Amino acid sequence: MPILQQELESRRGADAPAAAPAPKPAGPSFKLKPAFWRGLLSLLIAAVIWEAAARLFVNNPLFFAPLSAVLEKTGELWGSGELLKDMITSFQEFAIGFLVASALGILVGMVMAGSETVRDFVDPWVSMLYSTPTIALAPLLILWFGIGLTSHVAVVVLVVVFPVLINTFAGLANTDQHLIEVARSFGATPAQLFSKIRFPGALPFIVAGLRQGVARGLVGVVVAELFGAKAGLGFLILNSAQTFDTAGLFVGVLILAAAGVISVELVKLVERRMAPWRFQETGE
Amino acid sequence: MTAGFRLEVRELCKSFRKGGQEIEVLRNVTFGIREGEFVSIVGASGCGKTTLLRLLDGLIDPTSGSVAVDGRQVSGPGPERAFVFQQDSLLPWRTVAGNTVLGPEIQRKDLGAARRLADELIRLVGLFGFGRHYPHELSGGMRQRVNLARALTVQPDVLLMDEPFAALDAQTREIMQAELLRIWRETGKTVIFVTHQIDEAVYLSDRVLVFTVRPGRLKQEVEIALPRPRELVVKRTPEFVQYTDRIWRLIEEEVRESVGLEVEEAAARHS
Repeated sequence: MPILQQELESRRGADAPAAAPAPKPAGPSFKLKPAFWRGLLSLLIAAVIWEAAARLFVNNPLFFAPLSAVLEKTGELWGSGELLKDMITSFQEFAIGFLVASALGILVGMVMAGSETVRDFVDPWVSMLYSTPTIALAPLLILWFGIGLTSHVAVVVLVVVFPVLINTFAGLANTDQHLIEVARSFGATPAQLFSKIRFPGALPFIVAGLRQGVARGLVGVVVAELFGAKAGLGFLILNSAQTFDTAGLFVGVLILAAAGVISVELVKLVERRMAPWRFQETGE
Repeated sequence: MTAGFRLEVRELCKSFRKGGQEIEVLRNVTFGIREGEFVSIVGASGCGKTTLLRLLDGLIDPTSGSVAVDGRQVSGPGPERAFVFQQDSLLPWRTVAGNTVLGPEIQRKDLGAARRLADELIRLVGLFGFGRHYPHELSGGMRQRVNLARALTVQPDVLLMDEPFAALDAQTREIMQAELLRIWRETGKTVIFVTHQIDEAVYLSDRVLVFTVRPGRLKQEVEIALPRPRELVVKRTPEFVQYTDRIWRLIEEEVRESVGLEVEEAAARHS
């Protein structure tokens, strides 16, 4: 059971779920920290360099487009309604896939944590599919389900389900034994152990799995659309590239970047709400 | 009930199987605890103190022998006993109040009454106003207070305490000891307190049970005849020091027997 075992080992080592370093406690967010201003400044400098590089050095719209051209193109695509349509299409694929994969991942993870037999049967598949880049199966899924919503959702499900499943399982399997003892000494039934100790204890892990799933799911949407689509941000990128419209390509990339940042931050917000003790700075 | 024991342990034996090897942890332990008594169990580390407490709570089963509470044999955790763990073991996702009602919640008692009782107990352990705080916002001493309040909300007759102050700094520990005595006086519970701090055992107890090294047996019972209520200054009286010396010698004997040779050899090398 290599993958799950490894996962367990690494979880025991590190107290925090998933890989991300614990951010500072949110606190009242109207007071922005220097980190924010430095980050903003960094982005502004990059924007200037981008604009300058495109105008002064490359100066070939086939390979590179200045930021101003990208913004102009964004306005144009927005005005025609094309951009909104692409965004809605991609968002729909992502949302459906993400919800299905989350439900499936949490459910299977729970069953695996509850039954050793099930775990032993499912584990080789999880190990295999988790370690192979499942995105490689995207063309196959397109072949099976055709170009459109179904196949794109299927790709998203495929890439999102494993991090959710593995984190759910790891969270449930790593319940603090001291807490279990406390509940047992009060005479808790197995059902109560699950509902009062194991599941709430695993929630932060599950949300960490969802966070990984969000990032992977976005990649999944784009890749699925690159293999064949009639609309969507991936389609916008592919179409722009094929018509040598570099500015249009960047529009797709920038919107995806923004979507990635926003969605991951949203999940982090949920994480901090649900498990504030995990984000506490050490020391009393 | 006055003549009898609230909790009675008879010829209790416990062995564990570890890597194909049988490890005998407790051998033929017999003692009784009277109602309202405060009894400490001391002994060198690894003498099975914690195992004994877990047997008393019914978290594990004995290999042979029996534990009885009010004449009824213990076969698992029961509502008349509550365990205070060494680690404060609070649920990090619950507030102080939420943690405190865990017991009644699991035992499916009336939650409204349980919440009122929890509020009272939070006040009793000196945490009034902290009900809505989360464990990570509290100090170690405060968390241990919650731990104690949580055990008390199931209204147990017998409190089983496993080195609850071991992780606290010296000053906090002293304050908690005094607080525990106050709470014990106010609630009249029967307390069995495991510790490796001899002065803690003497200060708190009516009786101290000294255990041998593994396999743990009852080596000697020491009645502590210091008057109550005891202030912390009692620790500086000659009587107190006599008690701690006596218990320390009993434990020292044990430790010497088990590791004495190694110690002497090491001392010889260093001189």
